Formats: sequence, C-alpha cells, structure tokens
Amino acid sequence: MTQINLPENSKVKKGKYFKDQTGSKNLRKVSIYRWDPSSGENPRIDTYEVDMDNCPSKVLDILNKIKNEIDPTIAYRRSCAHGVCGSCAMNMNGKNGLACTTPHAEIDGDIDIYPLPHLKVKKDLIGDLDGLYKQYQSIEPWLKSNSKSETKEIIQSKEDRAKLDGAYECIMCACCSTSCPSYWWNGDKYLGPAVLLQAYRWIIDSRDEERELRLKKVADELKLYRCHTILNCTNACPKGLNPAKAIAEIKKMLATANI
Amino acid sequence: MENKAPLSPHIQIYKWHISSLVSISHRITGIINIIVITFICLLASLLVLGKSNYEIINLFLSSLIGKFFILGLTWSFSFQILSEIRHLIMDLGYGFELRTTKITGLIVIFGSIILTVAFYLIGKNFF
Repeated sequence: MTQINLPENSKVKKGKYFKDQTGSKNLRKVSIYRWDPSSGENPRIDTYEVDMDNCPSKVLDILNKIKNEIDPTIAYRRSCAHGVCGSCAMNMNGKNGLACTTPHAEIDGDIDIYPLPHLKVKKDLIGDLDGLYKQYQSIEPWLKSNSKSETKEIIQSKEDRAKLDGAYECIMCACCSTSCPSYWWNGDKYLGPAVLLQAYRWIIDSRDEERELRLKKVADELKLYRCHTILNCTNACPKGLNPAKAIAEIKKMLATANI
Repeated sequence: MENKAPLSPHIQIYKWHISSLVSISHRITGIINIIVITFICLLASLLVLGKSNYEIINLFLSSLIGKFFILGLTWSFSFQILSEIRHLIMDLGYGFELRTTKITGLIVIFGSIILTVAFYLIGKNFF
C-alpha cells in the first residue's frame, strides 16, 4: 500500500554538528544520513563542515575526506570510483546517482546525502538491495539456447547486436529502481526499471530462444504495468540509459505479439 | 528485533522534475474529472425535473464559486487531454529522450493553461 509518511522508527532526527578544524575559508556544509544498528535510536542527520580547498571534484571524494579526516564511523559502499561498479549509488540533493561520477560543483548550496530511497537501511548510507537482486534472479538473466550446441559460437548479426546497445551497459546500481515511486509503493511485486531493462535485454537478444516465455513471464499487471512513465528512472540513470523506453518496448511487444 | 531497520526517506527527499509533476497531475486531474463528470450528470438529470432546478443551477454557476468551479474544470480537462495525448505517443514508443520528455511536459503544462483561456474566451464570446 502507498504509505507517504515514514514509519515511526524511520523519522529522521537532527544529529551532531562537526565544526571545521582546519581553519579553511572555503567551507561547505555536508549533511549525511546516519543510522547505527547497534544504538537502537532513530536515524539522524549529521552535518560536517568540509574544507573544499583540499578536496577533489566528486561527491565520493567528500565522503572519503570525511571518513579519513573528520569522522571514521561513517559507513558507505564504494569500490571502483570510476562509475563502473555501481557500489556508491546514493541520493544526493534529492536525486539518485553515483557519488563517484557526480561532481560536487554541480550541486548548489549545501550538500545533502541520503541512502537510496525506500530501502531498509543496514547502516548509514547502505541500503538493503536483497529484494532487487531476488527479482533480478527471477527473470533468469542468462542466455537460454537449448537447441544449439553449447560448445559452438552462436553467430549474431551486427544489427541484432546493435539492439543490445543501451541495455547491456547497465551496472545494476539500483539508482533507477529506487527513484521510482511505483517501485516504492509496490516494490515487492513490481519488478522496477533496473530489472525490467535487463528482462528487455534478454528478450531482444537474437541468440536467446525463450523470448516468448520471457515475455509471458513479465506480462503481469503488477510485474510490468505498474510503470506509469513518471521517468524518474531515466532521469536518475548515471550511465545515461533509458529504462522507461525499454519498459515501453516490452509493453509494445506484448500488445503486438500474439501470446 | 524484526523490522528494526529504518526505511530510508523517499518522497520526502526526492527532487521533482517536469515528468514526475505531469504524471502526478495526470492522476489528480483524472480523479477530479471522474467526480465532476458524475456531478454534471446529476445536474443534467435535475434539469429534467423542472424549471426551478434550472434556476438553482444557474444561480450556482453564475456565482464566484461556480465560475471558479467551471474554470478549474476546464483546466483539469485540458490538462488531462494533453497529458493523455503525451502518454499515447509514449505508448507508441516515442518521446522517451530526456530532452523530449521535458519539452512535451512543458507543452502539457503551458498548453493546458492556454487551452483554458481559449475555452473561456470562446465561451464568453460565442455563447
């Protein structure tokens, strides 16, 4: 059910304020969502004054700086720092994105950092993505070519290969799915943009032999048709992909195919 | 211990943009339209029952609240129609590029206001 308000244990309280110790003139206020599973308290917003003179260009650099120099207790996921692994997906000033590819110069005023929206928080900026991974598994994201030999190469034309462009690049960072209001309200049943983009990627793969079965599987009032083209997904995608269009294409295939 | 983990903030913090605004307005105007169409049907059936009813309806529609009601309704219908056309085009698989969605969204928002004014002027000058 649609629940607009946060539950009682999720209401965000004001937290600590970390004043600048460096004496720098170029300061920026960075507010970060904090929740400690061992404390039993509600989540809070801690605010840090960060010396921007000695900070590289991305939001992830700010987080690293805070963790290294101000407050080592802060927890967040990060790995490659080049927009390839998708670990550092979070909500920065109201928009989902990768902290490692989002320049802080593009954010006006104070910086607010939250975990990806509408997830169970594990700690601080780390959200629980188990549900999404289970849904990803449910679409069976691997090649199914039952009749063809598994030891021989399956030839694909250049045109058929080109159809996968814009779908295979997805890094499963969950920026899109967690930006989608439909996914917030129906995340247990609606597959969400990330998983549907991957479903589309396997449906249109010319080498795959279970196209019809895959289509039948997603053809469901809740799994697919909860997309109401709000387009938060396409707006959020840090790789510039278009999940909304992929979902529309699946709907179109279902409307025109006789299954 | 179960469900101890808090839910991260969602609609409270997520930034609005043109497409999400048009989408939520589409739903709201849709609900308004359904309620209002029912209301108009009731008015129409009242007319069948006699002249005195007509006078009451006329009095209501000429009042300030009545005029606001009509104008709001015109906007709500204009918005719904334009937004629906936008959705139909999207259902055909077109107009999903970010720039295009922004432009079509703006066309819906400003178009609905222009249509409202146009309907108002047409109604005033020709009927």
